Amino acid sequence: MNSSVPPISIRGITKCFGGTAALSDVSLDVGRGEVLGLLGKNGAGKTTLIKCALGLLRPDAGESLIGGERAPDMSPCTKARLGYVAQEPAVYPWMKVAQAIAYHGAFYENWDADFAASLLQRLELDPTKRVGALSVGQHQKLAILLSLGPRPDILLLDEPVAALDPAARRDFLKMILDIVANGKRTVLLSTHITSDVERVCSHVSILRDGRVSFTGELDALKDEVKRVRLSGLHDYSGNLRLDGVLRVEREGDSAILTVRGNIAATTDSLRRDTGATAAIEGLNLEDIFLELHHDATA
Amino acid sequence: MTHEPRQLFGIFPSSGVPIYRQIMDQVAVLVASGRIEPGDFLPSVRQMAADLEVNPMTVSKAYSQLELAGTVERIRGQGMRILAPDSMQLKTSRLRELGPYLEQAVAHAYQLSLSRRDVLDVLAPLLEKLDDE
Repeated sequence: MNSSVPPISIRGITKCFGGTAALSDVSLDVGRGEVLGLLGKNGAGKTTLIKCALGLLRPDAGESLIGGERAPDMSPCTKARLGYVAQEPAVYPWMKVAQAIAYHGAFYENWDADFAASLLQRLELDPTKRVGALSVGQHQKLAILLSLGPRPDILLLDEPVAALDPAARRDFLKMILDIVANGKRTVLLSTHITSDVERVCSHVSILRDGRVSFTGELDALKDEVKRVRLSGLHDYSGNLRLDGVLRVEREGDSAILTVRGNIAATTDSLRRDTGATAAIEGLNLEDIFLELHHDATA
Repeated sequence: MTHEPRQLFGIFPSSGVPIYRQIMDQVAVLVASGRIEPGDFLPSVRQMAADLEVNPMTVSKAYSQLELAGTVERIRGQGMRILAPDSMQLKTSRLRELGPYLEQAVAHAYQLSLSRRDVLDVLAPLLEKLDDE
């Protein structure tokens, strides 16, 4: 196993369904110790990407390496290091929770029964309840427990908290932070909840219509996309849509611009061209997400 | 003396300011106000990350940047220790930090159709809080 390959390495994946490309040439890496938040609207291709990454779906082009091995041909050793929570976890509806845990755990050499027991308590699951009778949220918690039991060091989580209430979600985020505290575990987390990403992720990839519109450090993204307020434009009629300007909203003497890239340079150009005062404001991830999805022609 | 992270820091993950930046800015304020003093140790990365519920990489980044800026030094086996501020080096960066705030105030004054005289009139009593030099 090549240890210089990132634990999750997705390379040029294209996947079509019927005539439509659900994913087009998607590449992203998650390095050891990193937590990557995969953000995208519903239908952007997040679940398809995760399934291709794991080898559950066969891409039309490209490949995915997990733990340095090609995904469809992962060795049992690598599979044992992997934790996966699917978007619609379908786990043993006929069993009781305790049975499902025991059954599932039996497949793993490195299943940590004590840890699983502590999670059972922490997640407040009733071991005597039939899995099929669990609520959506409880089902999701069970799926999380089952994925974490073998103490995996590579985790792929597809909207693992979509059905959880804020308290449970917050606790789950703490769990993730505990898991990555030693710097040796790797997590790819797909979600549409930007505040979760801001708290827990070191890196973010934004998927839009099957393509990556940003991938990199979360902090870098926050430094890269900002709002610029111009005041004192007077009758300036020149072009405000300089290179790097994603959006312009003008109202007479003032304007609000969304700028991407070299913020300082673009802002200086705007000041020089217009003679207006410029104030730069930071945007949070939700704002950035919305700006990157705004139609450029609007 | 070491400190409890949550007592010292108020972090907002969903603000426009990256978390590492918030940590750095708040360390600067804590030192300037005397709440933490040269010789004190910052909480460990692990403690900060766990208590503030943020990614440890973010905390590491803040600490590395603080180290580069000369605000803290890394003591092997113990953590990050606050250094006595080097007045020369920090002043230029402090002046640079003030710039955007003043720019915003001026922009605001313009929107309120106030004159230079007006702004100076508002500013004068506020400046009395500061030393002369």
